[in-house]
Amino acid sequence: MFGDHWILWYTISNSYSIIEPEFKLLLDSYLESNSTIDFSATISDSIDVSNDITYSISETLFNYLEDCNRPYSPQIIPLIPLDKSYRNISKQYHFEGKTIQIYYNSELVLKTVHPALAYCCIKSSDVALATFDIYLKDEDLYLFKNECLISRVSKHDYHLIQGKFIMQLLCTLHDKQESDWIGTFHGSTITDGNSSILFIGESGKGKSTLCALLAASGFDLLADDVSPMLSKDKHIYYNPLAISIKKGAFNVLEPIISDFDSLPLVKFNKTKGDLKYIPCEKPKNNHYPCHAIILVNYKPKANTSLEKVSVKTILETIIPESWLSPNPKHAKQFLDWLIDIDMYQLTYSNTKSVTTEISKLFKQLNKKL
Amino acid sequence: MNTKFRAKAMKEDNNSDKITRKEAIQKMGKYAALTAVGTFVILNPLKAQSSSPPDAGGDPFD
Repeated sequence: MFGDHWILWYTISNSYSIIEPEFKLLLDSYLESNSTIDFSATISDSIDVSNDITYSISETLFNYLEDCNRPYSPQIIPLIPLDKSYRNISKQYHFEGKTIQIYYNSELVLKTVHPALAYCCIKSSDVALATFDIYLKDEDLYLFKNECLISRVSKHDYHLIQGKFIMQLLCTLHDKQESDWIGTFHGSTITDGNSSILFIGESGKGKSTLCALLAASGFDLLADDVSPMLSKDKHIYYNPLAISIKKGAFNVLEPIISDFDSLPLVKFNKTKGDLKYIPCEKPKNNHYPCHAIILVNYKPKANTSLEKVSVKTILETIIPESWLSPNPKHAKQFLDWLIDIDMYQLTYSNTKSVTTEISKLFKQLNKKL
Repeated sequence: MNTKFRAKAMKEDNNSDKITRKEAIQKMGKYAALTAVGTFVILNPLKAQSSSPPDAGGDPFD
């Protein structure tokens, strides 16, 4: 139980459900009843309601349980061999002594991954620790790692190829398997060198901009956009991809980030317009414990405020946009972690006061360490 | 009727628990019970890892 809410996790569907104590009471009573008639009798005996209403309550509970028990179907990866004739563009990337090779088939496909890693791009004759191939064939995007197909999706779902690529890159850099991770949260994580804070929020609410500001103000960026949590220690791990900044935030960051003007403009799509990718210095450690989640809300001219927020608000934002492992052990670890952390909502517009507020929070969190 | 879900919830039948629950439902009352039944939220995580999905109309592969 989290404050006023119960959180249930359903093994079959990998669904999380947030319910209030009153709903839990009705649900427990329903599950204990031997039949609909038995349940209806319990309800009618307890409260003065018509048969129609008891039937409606019982039907709602049945439908709820049915929805929560829809089987989770893992994706099946077909056995498709790598087509090396698509290796038109070759890039090597270097991460602290580890070299990764990526082949792309076109400039358009290159834009899915390369701009966020361009700062690590080098010409190297070193043996690559892993070789990736990303290409567009017919209407599908393919991702191979060491010549094994990892994902094939419609080209319009290119963000799934990006997500899968990041997962595999993290596995390579941290020497892990996909099954070692609790999940990848849609959010950005900042560390002060002791612990970390995960920033979440809808697209356009200023997560990345805030993290770029904090990274320029003495904190380190641990992960932007995709924050992975490992089962072994429940820590968030370093994700090397640069912070992606939309044009709307350029004016906020120009005076704060050194050499911001010299960062190349990347034209990714019509809506996002021009993007810039800000590389950040790697934190000292590869992973940090995370003791708080902050729901970010950038509001022009608003005063900075950091207020406690309910687990319901946090989960409604984070779960539908994150990949969470269906492994029961990992689901339990995720819920155990949630119990231990603080949850806030941050409204801000002023860059100085927001940095002060986050510094204060880190100090407060570190006292618990 | 409920056997299907009961097994999944791994609940044990317990009479004293049942009486307490009945009393709790009584205490909750008609209006709270009717309101409560519509208050659940079901959240499904993504089935595969993803980066930020594209904004409407922002697909570079269009």
